Amino acid sequence: MSGAEARQAAIDGLQAALATEHAALWCYSLAAAFLTGPAADQADQDARDHLRLRSAVERTLSRLGARAVSAQPAYATPEPVVDADSAAGLLRVAETDALAAWRSLLERSADPAVRRPALNALVEGTLRCARWRVVTGTPPAIPVFPGRDDPT
Amino acid sequence: MSATPPVGVPRRRVLVAALLAVPAAGGCSFGSDADDAPDPLIALADAARADAGLARAAIAADGALAEALQPLVDARAAHAAALEAEITRLDPDRAATPPAPPPAPALGRDPMARVREACEASGAAAAAAAVALPAERIGLVAAVAACCSTYAVVLG
Repeated sequence: MSGAEARQAAIDGLQAALATEHAALWCYSLAAAFLTGPAADQADQDARDHLRLRSAVERTLSRLGARAVSAQPAYATPEPVVDADSAAGLLRVAETDALAAWRSLLERSADPAVRRPALNALVEGTLRCARWRVVTGTPPAIPVFPGRDDPT
Repeated sequence: MSATPPVGVPRRRVLVAALLAVPAAGGCSFGSDADDAPDPLIALADAARADAGLARAAIAADGALAEALQPLVDARAAHAAALEAEITRLDPDRAATPPAPPPAPALGRDPMARVREACEASGAAAAAAAVALPAERIGLVAAVAACCSTYAVVLG
């Protein structure tokens, strides 16, 4: 792979990770309306993590001279979100999707300056995903292969 | 009784060594073991087997730990199998020599703390190895790192 190809592969992976971070933030804002108590607190904290990740990816893309993809005005949810259970289910899906994007970025870039933060995002995201898997009663709580299509 | 060994033995040993050397030399031409450094996934697969054995022993010592640790046993066994498959893909000769079983686990006074420490160390080792791996291997090793590190947090 040439230098230009490697750079483009990293940019593509970062844009895909950014797109799932946009989607995750949208999911958290939708879910917030249905969550109360500890689940609402958890969602608040997780949404802040995603804000931080989104900013980090945007900064990296800007450093690489690429224009960051924008968020969609809305996203299709796999199931209708009507109560606390379906809201938690949506967050489990959002976290699972984000893990897949971070893992894909690891595979697309060989640059340690991209890989290290992507690996951190995968590790930290696995804990967030595990918490929503517990809330939704999805065993095993901790995915065996986080980021894989079938994480269990 | 004689202090000198029979003269025939050394020669036979040389012949046996020469016969054994032929397939090994043929294997080298394939290029998979041109690099002298051992596959970094071998240590990770050993750690996965050791962690699974440790968690199994902790459950055997205290059945109440099964709920928390059985998923870890299953996860680390799945990691060991996936890592072993990837090691064997690049070194088909390895399939003929199954890995040695892990050493008997030492649980100490606080088995749960011991398991948690093992997960933390395994997560750190996988993360350290992951960053330098080629694209087709990093996903697996990064997943192992993320899974182990999360167990270390949750079991804490």
